[in-house]
Amino acid sequence: MIVCVAVVGHQNNPLYIQSFTDADDALKLHHIVHCSLDVIEERVNNPKKSGTTLNEAFLGLLYPTVNYKVYGYLTNTKVKFILVTTDLDVRDTDVRSFFRKFHAAYVDAVSNPFHVPGKKITSRTFAQTVSNIVGSYGLN
Amino acid sequence: MEEYPEELRTPPVSLVALFGYAELHASITKYLHSQQPPINALAFPDFSQISLLLAHDDQISRTSSFRDPLSVSDSASPIPSRCGGILKRDWLLKHRTKVPALVAAFFPSHHIFGDPTQWLQVCSDLDSLKSVIRPKNIKLVVVVVQSSPHEDISDDRLVALRKRAELDSKYVLFFNSSIVSELTLSLSRLASAFAELALSYYREEGRRIKSRIEKRSSNSLDLNVRYCFKVAVYAEFRRDWGEALKFYEDAYHSLHEMIGTSTRLPAIQRLVEIKIIAEQLHFKISTLLLHGGKLIEAVTWFHQHKTSYEKVVGSTEFIFLHWDWMSRQFLVFAELLETSSATGQSLTSSNQGTAEISLTEFEFYPAYYYQLAAHYLKDKKSALELLLSMSEIAQEIDSSSASITPSVYVGQFAQLLEKGEAITLHSITDEEYTRYTISEAKRVQDSLQIIAWLKRSYESFTNLKAQRMAALCAFEVAREYFDLADPNNAKFFFDIAANLYRQEGWVTLLWEVLGYLRECSRNLDALKDFVEFSLEMVALPVTSYENSGNLRNKNYGPGGPATISGRESIHQEVFTLVCREAELLSSTEGSGFKLATDSPLHLEIDLVSPLRPVLLASVAFHDQMIKPHALCSFTLSLLSHLPLPVEIDHLEVQFNQSTCNFVIRNSQRPLWASASNTVKSGSQVENAPLLVLVPNNWLRLTYAIKSEQSGKLECLSVLAKLGPLFTICSRAESPAAMEDLPVWKHENRVESLPTKDPVLAVFGQKATQVDEPEPQVDVSLGASGPALVGEDFAMPIVVTSKGHAVYSGELKINLVDVGGGGLFSPREAEPFSLESHHVEICGIDGAEGNNESESETGSIKKIQQSFGLVSVPYLKEGESWSCKLEIKWHRPKPVMLFVSLGYLPHGSEANTQKVHIHKSLQIEGKMPLLISNRFMLPYRRDHLLLNRIKPAPDSEDVSSLPLNEKSVLVVSAKNCSEIALKLVSMSIEFDDEQGETSCLIQQGGGCGDSPSSANLAPGEEFKKVFTVIPTTRTPKLGLGSIHLKWRREGGNITEAYVSTKHKLPEVNVEASPLVMSLDSPPYAILGEPFTYAVRICNQTQLLQEAKFGLADAQSFVLSGSHSNTVSVLPKSEHVLSYKLVPLTCGEQQLPKITLTSARYAAEFQPSAVASSVFVFPSAPQAEKAISTSK
Repeated sequence: MIVCVAVVGHQNNPLYIQSFTDADDALKLHHIVHCSLDVIEERVNNPKKSGTTLNEAFLGLLYPTVNYKVYGYLTNTKVKFILVTTDLDVRDTDVRSFFRKFHAAYVDAVSNPFHVPGKKITSRTFAQTVSNIVGSYGLN
Repeated sequence: MEEYPEELRTPPVSLVALFGYAELHASITKYLHSQQPPINALAFPDFSQISLLLAHDDQISRTSSFRDPLSVSDSASPIPSRCGGILKRDWLLKHRTKVPALVAAFFPSHHIFGDPTQWLQVCSDLDSLKSVIRPKNIKLVVVVVQSSPHEDISDDRLVALRKRAELDSKYVLFFNSSIVSELTLSLSRLASAFAELALSYYREEGRRIKSRIEKRSSNSLDLNVRYCFKVAVYAEFRRDWGEALKFYEDAYHSLHEMIGTSTRLPAIQRLVEIKIIAEQLHFKISTLLLHGGKLIEAVTWFHQHKTSYEKVVGSTEFIFLHWDWMSRQFLVFAELLETSSATGQSLTSSNQGTAEISLTEFEFYPAYYYQLAAHYLKDKKSALELLLSMSEIAQEIDSSSASITPSVYVGQFAQLLEKGEAITLHSITDEEYTRYTISEAKRVQDSLQIIAWLKRSYESFTNLKAQRMAALCAFEVAREYFDLADPNNAKFFFDIAANLYRQEGWVTLLWEVLGYLRECSRNLDALKDFVEFSLEMVALPVTSYENSGNLRNKNYGPGGPATISGRESIHQEVFTLVCREAELLSSTEGSGFKLATDSPLHLEIDLVSPLRPVLLASVAFHDQMIKPHALCSFTLSLLSHLPLPVEIDHLEVQFNQSTCNFVIRNSQRPLWASASNTVKSGSQVENAPLLVLVPNNWLRLTYAIKSEQSGKLECLSVLAKLGPLFTICSRAESPAAMEDLPVWKHENRVESLPTKDPVLAVFGQKATQVDEPEPQVDVSLGASGPALVGEDFAMPIVVTSKGHAVYSGELKINLVDVGGGGLFSPREAEPFSLESHHVEICGIDGAEGNNESESETGSIKKIQQSFGLVSVPYLKEGESWSCKLEIKWHRPKPVMLFVSLGYLPHGSEANTQKVHIHKSLQIEGKMPLLISNRFMLPYRRDHLLLNRIKPAPDSEDVSSLPLNEKSVLVVSAKNCSEIALKLVSMSIEFDDEQGETSCLIQQGGGCGDSPSSANLAPGEEFKKVFTVIPTTRTPKLGLGSIHLKWRREGGNITEAYVSTKHKLPEVNVEASPLVMSLDSPPYAILGEPFTYAVRICNQTQLLQEAKFGLADAQSFVLSGSHSNTVSVLPKSEHVLSYKLVPLTCGEQQLPKITLTSARYAAEFQPSAVASSVFVFPSAPQAEKAISTSK
């Protein structure tokens, strides 16, 4: 089950964080998303060591925590997408598919002429789209 | 890892037992330890101690009989049969320290080859050893110690010895200790034999146990785990790491199958036993993998280990046991990774993990495991606290569980009971066991352990440059300290986390940390810190309206969830505390701070302060340059991100020039007694109708100040007074250079400008420049055009007092060459310039002024020709004084005139600084007249001058004049200045007396016809004609100099003339050997013949041959010789005569004659002017012409 998705800017500033659990998990998920930026930096700075192919947007499993798995996605503009899930048997193909749809939703949101680049995403349409994507993948 | 016994943490080494010859044991033992792998030794001095080895054997027999299922019913055994387990606790230790792989018997050689009695003793000892070791398959080595290499060896006795000991010949060794080289060789042979036999022993033992596994003689999983473990240990003895690893893994898998199937023990204890043995097996596996450099495999194995057992929780009531076990797994693996040297090497591999399990970067570092160890330990702590809070039998735990101790088997516990002298172990129930575990858990300080492991994780992540993980660890450490009521340490680590969250703008996490920091400050009774952290929380861009229920607040820190209502409540709490009024003092005592009523609180906000969102001050001057004493406008803009409006009592605006400071007072607020004290008596006080900071809106205030002092005027800070005891001082910022607020710059909101004027918002500065005050005394230099070389140029200098009087005035005058060099240039010095300076100050004339100034002109001091010092008399306000500076140019060049006036504005005040006014002027020096000259030779009289034909090598461009002939000298004077000049006279004067005797110069035209003076406009040229008759033959004849007298046109009539001299160039005077003259009438009449004669005069002593040729002319009819060669006698003249009849009227060219001198190869050719004649048409015309000519 997907419990949290996040969009982090190129200065590692949070642009959008939404948790899909009870409120008591929100703070813990914030910490998980924040710490996953270390792994993203490690992979970006050492692509050969991590085995990631260059120009690959999907970063794979970032690091496992006690109850969650964290996946990352890096766009060309250095914006990071982070997915936190409780499923222990997640397939990479499903995560890639999720990120592809999420990326499309993000592009639609930032293409709004009233959106200022680098600012937080406050679009209700984007939030609704993300909820739909998460809902469809949560059922699998 | 230190909790594990040493025999588990270190790899096993072979063990041998030495009997007899005690004096050799020390050196043999030392040598065996130095082998690779080392060999441990048990030393027995003599054979009488064989019973000690036998005693161990008795224990082994007992153990062996115990494992036999048929002996289960043996009631004589001290260990109850129903307490059987999987692994015996002391089995590994026994095989490492008590049960040897082989026994070495040392016998002196004379006992073997000597007396039969001693031989019988040897046989008896060997029989005793064999009876002890044969049942356990322990190997035997017989060592014959030789005293000297020359001892006799009996072959028969040796064969008998081998038969007696039942040994191969290679295991009967000879040891010679008499010679050092022999000793070393003996030791080497001994060690080699020991290693070989030990290897054989452990191999056979492993094979024996392995056969039981293969036969599957028992279906019991317990035995299978035990057998696999033993085979693995025997493989480790043999350094066969591959087989050891394989059988450890087999044991692990068999053990895992026992979960849920074994019924030997009560449920809780059964699971505990399985997990403890699994822990040890995994420890062995990880150690072997890491020491073999297989980091990836080790991490993968740990992953499988964790996955296998993390769901095996057991009883949910006592779940803290599971968390404790999980924590220990991560801790041990972290320590293994730290001590392993394979960590750095394997990370270079590009393949991580397998296709089934993907490993991430952090899983290769100890920091990750320390963090999770602490995490699981926290779970254990929480579960234990929950259990204790709900338990009703807490008081009975301590007393009843005192006698429980670990049992004979690994992972089992038993109760010790004393019956008389005997000590027996009895199995316990799960209830008893849980009481024991609770009692043990209560004794451990879990919080300190959590802090220690999190600190190690924090340090490790910091070294890895994983700053966010490090911040999380710091946050966890701080929370543990907070729970332990240690606010100092907690605050330190909270600050570490807060700094990173501030920097990256993670507001939700920062809110949580600041909530804890507030409470730390409250506990430390640090009011200032408490207020600062509270204000920072309140000013965070938290825009969430969600408010979770009270039951869920336990997951948040003291700050609660990050919501707008939370911000507002903290805002009210803080401002009630710090902005309290006198009548509310009693109500604020409840906040926990005990303050004196007169204790002020002052906060400083600078450019990097996290409190910038609380009060942001922007100052923009409307003008970048202002005049002194003039009003200067500026806009002060204040911005606050506090969630509620804040009313300010008064603002104090502070500048670098303190006289400009002023106070803006809120007219609606009461005037506190303390507020009056802070306002300086001389400060300007402005009243504002409203001083309220509305959230996220700029408060714009425009004021004007007046600056008395020149230089930079900068607004430094703005101090806001909030209540009687609370002030916030914010550093002023320029709108042009204002940085974004780090935590607010990513918020999607409408941002307003600090000023209404967009230009000020973009380019506004908090500083402006105040001009220097205008000088009150004026110094003017009255330049009157360019200076002319030779004259005394007058430069008026006027000192005028405008604002105040002039005391002790002093003028300093400097002449500086514009080119940077000195006025004197040695290379360019000219002979006629006798002065050492090209431009000099001739004098300073103070003609104007009152009588007092005239008397002071004597004090003029001229230090150098380019420097002057003049005293200026006292001048009242409005008066002026002037003097004339006379400068003379000797060469045309520009100079820079510097005049500096130093004076005191007030004569009576000694401390007044001297005022200096500087003026400078560039003056160009120019030549007034340009002199040029040229010579005209006699008319129709050509002289042969040899210098023109072949100039001498050393001669320059020098004109040549014929000796004793009249030449015409034309001198031109051109006005090349920009003003009109009056040329009074021009004459030629000889420089010395010699010139007068060697040359005769007369003014042409007569003195009467010469004009007395000439006015030359700029560019106009004046010419004068002189006749020169050189009388002396010389290569260089000096003609003297041209003397000019001139002055400026329109000047004062009384002004003296300027007299300048210009030297004429030297000429070459030589005698001409041949002279050709043309004689023709001045005019001709058409049709009438006239005579045209050419005279050739030879003035030499030699015969001169001359060749001539006459060309025809169409205008004349010619009679005479056209070409011929004539000889002219010395000092004689030859005449060529022609009769010509003009045929055409007007100006006509006579026939051209060419005369060539054969000796000098020179050709005479008259000019066109000399060969022309005017032809009149008739005689009457001639009459008129004659009269006109007359």
